[in-house]
Amino acid sequence: MTTRQRLDLLARAYPRLFPRAGLTRLLRDQLGDVDALEGWINRGHVRVWARAPKLIYHIGAGNLAISAMTSLVQGLLLGAHNVVKLPGDREDGTTRKEILDFIKGLPAPLRKLVETQRVLDPKLMCEADVVIAFGSDATMEKIRSQTRWEQKFIGHGHALSLLWLAQPNQLSPRQARACAIDILTYDQLGCLSPQAIYVPAGTDVALLGEKLTHALEKHWSGLHPKPPRPLPTAARIAEARDMAYALGHHVWLPPKRHLGWTLIHDPSPTFRPSALHGVIYLRQVSSTRLHAALAPIEGRISTVGLAGALSAPMEQVFLDLGVTRFCPAGRMQFPPLTWHHDGGHGLAEMVTWIDAEV
Amino acid sequence: MPFDFTQPSGRRAWIRQLLGPMDEAKWSELSSELFKWQYPRVPAYRRLCLGRQTDPQDFKSWRDIPAVPQQLFKREKLYCAGLPSPQAIYETSGTTTGEPGRQYLSRTDIYRAVSFEGARRAGFFVGNPQLHFLVPSPLEAPLSSLSAMFGFWQKAARQTGSRFWARQGQFDFSPLRETLACHIKAREPVALCGTAFSFVHLLDAWADLPPLRLPRGSRLLETGGFKGRSREVSKPELYAQLSRLLGLSDDQIWNEYGMSELSSQAYARGTTGLHFTPPWARVIICDPATGREVRPGQHGLVRWLDLANTDSVFALQTLDLAERTPEGFKLIGRMARTEPRGCSLGADDLALAKTSH
Repeated sequence: MTTRQRLDLLARAYPRLFPRAGLTRLLRDQLGDVDALEGWINRGHVRVWARAPKLIYHIGAGNLAISAMTSLVQGLLLGAHNVVKLPGDREDGTTRKEILDFIKGLPAPLRKLVETQRVLDPKLMCEADVVIAFGSDATMEKIRSQTRWEQKFIGHGHALSLLWLAQPNQLSPRQARACAIDILTYDQLGCLSPQAIYVPAGTDVALLGEKLTHALEKHWSGLHPKPPRPLPTAARIAEARDMAYALGHHVWLPPKRHLGWTLIHDPSPTFRPSALHGVIYLRQVSSTRLHAALAPIEGRISTVGLAGALSAPMEQVFLDLGVTRFCPAGRMQFPPLTWHHDGGHGLAEMVTWIDAEV
Repeated sequence: MPFDFTQPSGRRAWIRQLLGPMDEAKWSELSSELFKWQYPRVPAYRRLCLGRQTDPQDFKSWRDIPAVPQQLFKREKLYCAGLPSPQAIYETSGTTTGEPGRQYLSRTDIYRAVSFEGARRAGFFVGNPQLHFLVPSPLEAPLSSLSAMFGFWQKAARQTGSRFWARQGQFDFSPLRETLACHIKAREPVALCGTAFSFVHLLDAWADLPPLRLPRGSRLLETGGFKGRSREVSKPELYAQLSRLLGLSDDQIWNEYGMSELSSQAYARGTTGLHFTPPWARVIICDPATGREVRPGQHGLVRWLDLANTDSVFALQTLDLAERTPEGFKLIGRMARTEPRGCSLGADDLALAKTSH
């Protein structure tokens, strides 16, 4: 099967998640040519051939299925045999089921290239050409220690994301809605989910809070199905709300205090992790203090979603903090397929390049 | 006449109330009294109550009294205004998030009285066993509420042979074994008290030694978790191994469920035993979504109402999971372990990242 045939099958099976144009762009951006895996490609004074890995071992995170799905699709595009280590039994099973459903939905010729495992198989993992893992930093360390030195290891450890509103006093309903989408998509569980909204000093917080609560409630009302709120989740949300009350923070809650979302204005600009599941903190910070405020998460910020223009000095602050992606608000959770995840080069990192000098 | 906890006499009167007969009416009256005392004096608690729209002048039942999240002890000083400088400060371990919580006591009088009386009423001192503690002494660990409590027990028991067997981060297991051998010879019952992780160290230290058979009437009391301080062992496994090592039945192994942020404790016996609180403290198992008590047989979060916790806040919401039973509650464990976090960074992860640098 050629790359183009695999691309075609993938795009037909999942046209919305993995559209043809996106997959084509991914191959062109990262391998230089859609046919880079099929034979020699001329690149000026050198001919190159991208040789695909034979076996890729994917280790999915327990919180979200989308990362494992994307990783698998990249492996399928390359034509590799893919082993997917599913989230373990300690997780609630939702993510595992979503990954399995996704695999079931693949066309038969691609499905043949996939096998799943419930328990990590260190021997098979060591045989793989590439190991791709998602999860906690501790998981990354553990997996890496079990790989061979010459094995390609692409690890995606802990990360989080933020929203930056450049002109919050003029936030339009559309922008507010975009923020709500970013916050509530995937129940805020992924590393692309914003855990805080940062706004510049001088923001009318009360006004902004009203706009955001309206947007959050509207978006939550339209979610079907709504994310579940089992006991541990409800406990985290309730604790975050009570902590905020006790600390004297302003808390905006939905009607009837349902557990869909919670907006908290914490006057301290210093970042603290959110309880997730729709709990979002609003923090005001001057440009001169932004770096210090985000210092606890330096090197761990994946995406900054922007409403309004980002000034060059602010951009520099974020770059210094190790941010690897900026995008408009509302698109945080939907990076293009060509996205350099954690600054990496996805497909290009997985293949082995053969050079033939002319 | 409201109680005045700033005065020793007021505190003594309160202790008398707590240790006296306690029916539902008295419980309601005392909890209302304490709520009215703490609400205006602990700003963070007042703010929480205002946020929850609960006023001490206008609430229906003691079940409606808002509880502070346990986590709040790590962020705020919860200490009633007007009390003299605290005589004791106890710290939580802080191993989960890197920030220790602090409990401030203006005097240790109430803690001393209820921690001893609670264990006594639970039956822990029946037969006057020789007390031995696998924790540092209160002198060496002045910030440990557990060491303080064991110190109170030691003083109250007035036993010359009673000792603390942890010093400078080390356990004195060899002399402890010799001491236990003497008790066995003299057929004196023994009560070995310590944290769960201290008993794991004991099991490891004595793994190659012959098991002991502690005298009849002996018992063991374990408390707390492991929190990365030893290998983790499940409760049934720990109890089974300790039974074999010390010649105790499952029923002779007790669990103490308490925390630095509280003054009272609940006790359970055996692997599957239910926990019971003393009359001056209650545990209700709540649904965090509604804040209301769950029905018997259902799971929820442990909420403490501890009338002995006069100087901070007496209503405490934990993240401990438990099953409500008709008679008491069955502790399941910490809730934090049940949540998948994956690649998303959380508070625990951030603390770990900080400590690893």
